[in-house]
Amino acid sequence: MTLSKEKAGALCFLVVAIAYGYMTGDIPSLPSDKFAPMTASTLPTFLAWITGVLSFLLLILPQRGETDDFLSVFKGLNWIRTFTLLALMVAYGASFNWLGFNLATILFLTASVYVLGERRWKVILLTSIPVTLAFWFILTKLLEITLREGELYFTVINLLGLN
Amino acid sequence: MLDGILTGLSTAVTPINLLMVFVGCFAGTFIGMLPGLGPISAIALMIPITYGFDPSTGMILMAGVYYGAIFGGSTSSILINAPGVAGTVATAFDGYPLAKQGHAGKALAIAAYSSFSGGTIAAIFLLIAAPALASVALSFQSADYFALMILGLTAVSAFAGKGKFLIAILMTMLGLMLSTIGQDQSGIQRFTFGAIDLIDGLSFLLLAMATFALSEALMVVLKPEATSKEAEKATKGDLGSMKITKEEVKDLAPVVARSSVLGFFIGVLPGAGATIASFLAYGMERNFASAKEKLKFGKGSLRGLAAPETANNAASSGSFVPLLTLGIPGSGTTAVMLGALISYGVQPGPRLFVENPAVFWSVIISMYIGNIILLVLNLPLIPYIARLLALPKQILTPMILFFSLIGVYLVSANTIDIQIMVLVAIIAIFLRLIDFPLAPMLLGFILGGLMEDNLRRALDIYDGEISFMWERPLTASILAITAVILFAPMIKGLIDIRRNKALKVNDGEG
Repeated sequence: MTLSKEKAGALCFLVVAIAYGYMTGDIPSLPSDKFAPMTASTLPTFLAWITGVLSFLLLILPQRGETDDFLSVFKGLNWIRTFTLLALMVAYGASFNWLGFNLATILFLTASVYVLGERRWKVILLTSIPVTLAFWFILTKLLEITLREGELYFTVINLLGLN
Repeated sequence: MLDGILTGLSTAVTPINLLMVFVGCFAGTFIGMLPGLGPISAIALMIPITYGFDPSTGMILMAGVYYGAIFGGSTSSILINAPGVAGTVATAFDGYPLAKQGHAGKALAIAAYSSFSGGTIAAIFLLIAAPALASVALSFQSADYFALMILGLTAVSAFAGKGKFLIAILMTMLGLMLSTIGQDQSGIQRFTFGAIDLIDGLSFLLLAMATFALSEALMVVLKPEATSKEAEKATKGDLGSMKITKEEVKDLAPVVARSSVLGFFIGVLPGAGATIASFLAYGMERNFASAKEKLKFGKGSLRGLAAPETANNAASSGSFVPLLTLGIPGSGTTAVMLGALISYGVQPGPRLFVENPAVFWSVIISMYIGNIILLVLNLPLIPYIARLLALPKQILTPMILFFSLIGVYLVSANTIDIQIMVLVAIIAIFLRLIDFPLAPMLLGFILGGLMEDNLRRALDIYDGEISFMWERPLTASILAITAVILFAPMIKGLIDIRRNKALKVNDGEG
């Protein structure tokens, strides 16, 4: 048995609606809510019900148009490259405070350009370094936005006894 | 009105605002030209920059990006048959065959003149329609706003495409659900799971960037498309003559006039937008054409090119009417602008016209300036701008990813947002792959909070009774229109299913 994209999506939404509806029970209420026409959980409850009913309808109504298996849409795609980029983004976010804007950005751009297939180091570095420095200059000098230095910078300064 | 126009003019022609129209048009053209990146991404990428400006300047920049992106989309549609923007898909029907016949220059020139004419005529309509509607809308109450928001959300779903209505409604529901995350008006936390970062709710910018800019850029990596020969040829600046003859101008003038009017009114309707306007204009012109001319459609008809090009720009201007006058966006793009306006501390709607006339009028006036800039700047520069199509993806994609991430970080100064963006982008990619549209979700998210506030207020006024839905004639009328939009596709779908069943039975008997 195959599951179409539409039905797979409907199933996901049904699960989301049930989970969301279940969590609306955790929304605390105020003593005055007894007399209030609308409380913090009114809209979420309504949304959970509507989404649940609509996704159920989508699931059981006859399929219109394409009926291909939803798993087929995930085949033949460049997942490795995409997930490597996603991992690089996570690493960029995680290292930002430690490495600081300049170093973290240069490393992120260098790695991303490399992952996407560029192998000429001259091109890679001529892309990542000038873009980072130009962006840093615009932000800090022209727009006067403070970009905090990374922990690494302070560690090095302390080690060198420059502070 | 004259006072308003003068206020708008004095704001729009300040050096910084003129510069922003210029930058917006240029950046929009560039981003719109890149296949895969649409106007929502283009505008979302600009939002962090606009936070440093006053609201008028920010809106002018975003408006410039919007029509620049539509224009840029036409360029890639004509040159390489790869529309950067959904609103320019119809442009490729005749624009690309013209380019293949060696008339790329002429096709681009017609696209530029048609866009200019459509945009300018629509801006004149906007100048008249927006203040008039805003004056009427001043008498609207919370109940009417609540009804209008329901109408806006329903209409967006209704125009989502054949068989996609329920899916689009579900996506709107998802957006509404996401809007309930965080503290509500009474101070109660909902769905925060105890995380401090979620108390203020999800950031609209984060959601817009992750679901559009980030996921669109990643989709290009996920589904790489080989650079076509056309792209290579286009980048060499070999576009042919850009001259248009007098006869052609005479022939196209009524097409442009008709498509401008059609485009503007379609644009005003919530949910319709540039894509539907361009297809309708194309269809309308094909119906109007003589039998001989009709045969040319799809094979390089100048009318077939001018009609959608005019209509999509006119619709872009038209979509500002509900945004500026009612505070209700008619499309994903204007929804992003609404989100940006709210984050500037400006409340769009009829009060905008009274309280912030500079924002209201300067955006309208800047449209004229933007259209002129698009024509004067882009037309001679097209051969050079077209070369950007050849920029290697391995350089361009990391830049887009970087701008998206840093844009959100600069506003929140919280690196957790980068991780949340990655998570949202993964979900967005999944939804894109299974063909669930993301624009209704964004619209639901942006309107969710406003809708809940207005419903709460309406219920307070009517002592907790929902009778406001039928007691106020205006509210009742808006809700009646909503019901028609909501149930028409469902009834039509059921009729289709019954008809198909009947046909199958007949076939079986026969």
